[in-house]
Amino acid sequence: MSEKPKVGVYVCHCGINIASTVDVEEIASFARDLPNVEVARTYSYMCSDPGQNLIKEDIREHGLNRVIVASCSPRMHEPTFRKTIQEAGVNPYFLEMANIREQCSWVHDDLEVATPKAKKLVAASVAKVRLLEALEETEVDAEPATLVIGAGIAGIQAALDIADAGFKVYLVEKTPSVGGRMAQLDKTFPTLDCSACILTPKMVDCAGHPNIELMTYSEVEEIGGYIGNFDVKVRKKARYVDFDKCTGCGDCANECRVKDRFPNEFDQGMGKRSAVYLPFPQAVPAKYTIDPEQCLYLTKGKCGKAPKCQEVCGVGAIDFEQEDEFVEFKVGAVIVATGFDPFDPSKKPEYGYDDYPNVITGMEMERLVSASGPTGGKITINNGEEEIEPKEVAFIKCVGSRDESVGNEYCSRVCCMYTAKQAHLVREKLPDANIRIYYMDVRAFGKGYEEFYDRVRRENVRYIRGNPSEIFKRGNKLVVKAENTLTSTPVEDEVDLVVLGVGMEPRKEMRDIMDLLRLSQSQDRFFLEAHPKLAPVDTATDGVFLAGCCQGPKDIPDTVAQAKGAASSAMIPLARGKVTISAQVAEVNEATCRGCGFCVEICPYSAIEMVTVNRFGYEIEVARVNEALCKGCGSCSAACLSDSIQPKSFRDWQILPQIAALGAMK
Amino acid sequence: MDLDKLRKTAAEVVAREDVRYLLGWKKGTFGYRIAPGFVEDAESAAELIFSPLCTANLATYLTLTEKPPLPRGQEPDDRKVAVMVKGCDSRAVTQLLIEKGIERESVVIIGCPCPGVVDHELLAEKYPETEETAELKWSDKGFLLLQNGEETEIARDELLAEKCRLCRYPNPVVSDIMVGEPVETWEPDDDQGVAEVEGKNAEVRWEYWQEQFSNCLRCYSCRNVCPLCYCEDCILDRLNPTWIYRSVNFSENTAFNLARAFHLAGRCIECGECERVCPANIPLGKLNRKLAREVREKYGFEPGVDPEAEPFQASYKPDDPEEFIL
Amino acid sequence: MSANYEPNIVAFLCNWCSYAGADLAGTSRVQYPPNIQVIRVMCTGRVNPLYVMNALQQGADGVLVSGCHPGDCHYMEGNYYARRRLGMLKDLLEFVGVDPRRFHMSWVSASEGHKWKEVVEKTVEDAKEAGPFEGFRRRQIDW
Repeated sequence: MSEKPKVGVYVCHCGINIASTVDVEEIASFARDLPNVEVARTYSYMCSDPGQNLIKEDIREHGLNRVIVASCSPRMHEPTFRKTIQEAGVNPYFLEMANIREQCSWVHDDLEVATPKAKKLVAASVAKVRLLEALEETEVDAEPATLVIGAGIAGIQAALDIADAGFKVYLVEKTPSVGGRMAQLDKTFPTLDCSACILTPKMVDCAGHPNIELMTYSEVEEIGGYIGNFDVKVRKKARYVDFDKCTGCGDCANECRVKDRFPNEFDQGMGKRSAVYLPFPQAVPAKYTIDPEQCLYLTKGKCGKAPKCQEVCGVGAIDFEQEDEFVEFKVGAVIVATGFDPFDPSKKPEYGYDDYPNVITGMEMERLVSASGPTGGKITINNGEEEIEPKEVAFIKCVGSRDESVGNEYCSRVCCMYTAKQAHLVREKLPDANIRIYYMDVRAFGKGYEEFYDRVRRENVRYIRGNPSEIFKRGNKLVVKAENTLTSTPVEDEVDLVVLGVGMEPRKEMRDIMDLLRLSQSQDRFFLEAHPKLAPVDTATDGVFLAGCCQGPKDIPDTVAQAKGAASSAMIPLARGKVTISAQVAEVNEATCRGCGFCVEICPYSAIEMVTVNRFGYEIEVARVNEALCKGCGSCSAACLSDSIQPKSFRDWQILPQIAALGAMK
Repeated sequence: MDLDKLRKTAAEVVAREDVRYLLGWKKGTFGYRIAPGFVEDAESAAELIFSPLCTANLATYLTLTEKPPLPRGQEPDDRKVAVMVKGCDSRAVTQLLIEKGIERESVVIIGCPCPGVVDHELLAEKYPETEETAELKWSDKGFLLLQNGEETEIARDELLAEKCRLCRYPNPVVSDIMVGEPVETWEPDDDQGVAEVEGKNAEVRWEYWQEQFSNCLRCYSCRNVCPLCYCEDCILDRLNPTWIYRSVNFSENTAFNLARAFHLAGRCIECGECERVCPANIPLGKLNRKLAREVREKYGFEPGVDPEAEPFQASYKPDDPEEFIL
Repeated sequence: MSANYEPNIVAFLCNWCSYAGADLAGTSRVQYPPNIQVIRVMCTGRVNPLYVMNALQQGADGVLVSGCHPGDCHYMEGNYYARRRLGMLKDLLEFVGVDPRRFHMSWVSASEGHKWKEVVEKTVEDAKEAGPFEGFRRRQIDW
């Protein structure tokens, strides 16, 4: 330390808040005798303008270079006094606060007791302030662009908002089309809007937006860097169809030698498609894709004499030589909108989903009732023997939700309502059908939800409280076995169709995203937000935000709201153009680091990496802190056996004297 | 143990171009003494031995390799170092791998399955040492002592070192080459040393350790011999901050011994070297084994077993015990 | 030991939960024993277990470390690391005969002003019962 510390101690009366239980004058005169203390004063309100000016004047007059304010909690006024001393030309980190209000005068009522304690707190602050170091906050430029991962309704909405605000958006979608789960839905509760009708305009918008670079059939490979400066690498998978040439006419799919042989993912496997396909008629972009695992030419190297698709394509778009492409770009923020997986009911074998074709999931029901679905919207089902129009329909709710046996304790939040909606749709299409819904509770909490639920009940849909224990076959009927828990009577219900109200689960590929972005999972295995209430779209990684069901089950209004929230949060660094890097970060003493990597393992922000340095001719590994990622928690430091990594302002040699000061005085 | 095979293996290893030298055991200058052997050629490989006297954990020397500053332009010698390890020593090597103290490619590990070594102090007490170098071999019953031309059969229990009575890994957990067949593992004894201390009340325990730590000379032999104390700049040598004063008194001695034990929590592989070399006979093993047992039983972690494991002090489990928390 | 013996206690509090909880106790004018002096750190994960030992050596009769409840850490994991490290330290101190009442750890959230009071009372009471810890004192203090 080049400069000799000259400490000023300022004891605040805080009106009578402090002065009534702490003898402030005595504290000041005590402080004057402490090492390196040049000035010690009291004032009625240190935080007032005259109070702050007092400090500033003393700094000028006495050449103070360290300041102690003995007043309220640093959580209250540390920023205030930092600014004060900075304005007087002292580094803002040469400040230490002694909390003699919240943790002294307010919790002790005896002057004889509170005064000695306040002295100790001041002494400890003096011990520390002498050893503090000057720190500089730095600012780095933020790249005015955002990466949005996933182009379901959450990703689309976030991308549109940011693009409309004038920032560049890279929208990366794994499947060949944007739209996500919402595109698969028929109607939306409770207003019964046609899902496609409200979604497709947004899909088209995001594909045509000048600020959005849409990358479908693409996956994020690598993300490095930090807020304001993420380096992204995206793999654009080979479609084997020239994106620019393809007109979306569909001749290739019609002529494909394996035409309509493969289950159509969009129709939940209920419809069929060719090896070259458009996921669904309204797909955006309307460009065909060849499935490399199904195409005869790509799997066997041979497709008749020549691939038919290639023959019929009038524009010569089919290109079997195409390879995966990699694109690299920089963004300032990232929005994760990777969505959910529907619960796989095979995990509850008692419901016979794998055994009976007329036990289907809610998502399958959406396709079944959809006019664009495999049956053209006609509700017919194979009961194992013949294709019939079901007369007896049962819905079962909470399949895979609120169920510890499958590890999902949470409520999926949409099943109550979509089941009610589907019951309504069945009623509309099959007016004579008997419809019942097995439920545990009905949760109709959203705007218009309770009203919709009431309406469905009035439409002669029976709600039976009971969780079915088993579904089995009797003749050409399915038997739903349950207990009506309101009447305590066992039920054996013969039906033609069972719809399982499956819930949401975190995406299977979540781990990849977690590793890419250093995200964590909450107890329910969805992505963990930074704070459940006050930072629900933020994550622990600065500059990375969550939107939609990847953070937890949500309905469409909540998803859109969160997407808009994430978009506006992501735009903060973009609009400012700069991000401030905290100064209180950890620092490695490379001369003593032994390279064990404990700190690297510990750091929750992956802010520490091992780097190779040359120590006297030997290549050795030492830890190095990325100051932009470090939050200064210091967990690394407590594990460092050689004390080589230390958080600034909370270094061992700054804390140990504090301990000594507190221990020394009785 | 077939010494010819051991020496032949060693000779082959040091003959390799990618091996700088080999660390093995050889006879010391007198009595029961054993010295570490730095073998650089086939000839000196013939001096190597492996016997119940070979208590030393040679893994220590892996991190002690001198690194004098190199003149600009000169490449460091990055050939491998070969090391002979017993079961416990191999755990030290594994723990060093976990902590990146060494790299797997930089060592050749020669595993020596170990039926258990002797307690040197007991041996010298019961069979007084002479100037003549003595030999001790494993036999069916325990040990066979050759001293002054006489052979003496000694029961295993009579001389077996405490750490070996408690040993759960007599066979090396990691090796490139194994010398000899794996030995049959034995049921470890209950740790009476630790249990005895635990059985006393807090005040008596404090007095017990006060007496022990008061004897500490602060020679730091325990630190220097420990294969896992390898920081190039130990916090005990620091002045800023001064964690522990250099003065030899009860307070600083206690602080030193606690800090040493704590730094080894979840890392100590119970080779017992610290206690063996302590000139003040402080039962350091008890401190280490107590923590090792807690780490094993409460946290389900064993250091030096799985080279892929996350270091104990740099990891956690959400359900770690917390009954002590208010 | 004399009835009016007042123990000296050093507490390490994380900035986000326990320090805020202690502040709340103040704002709510909750009264608790004055024997406790707080050192603020950003996270309990920062608390080097040797601090505890050092505090006992430098004149504390008792030490308290308090942080966020598991799962609530502002830095996600710091309190989990602290729990493991300090749990081990507690075992070690007990084994060498340091009265277990001299070292406590607690979870106090920013909303638990009353819990903070209870924790302080318990810590002070325990340290009082354990008596002065002179045996381990450093011979001289320098600063």
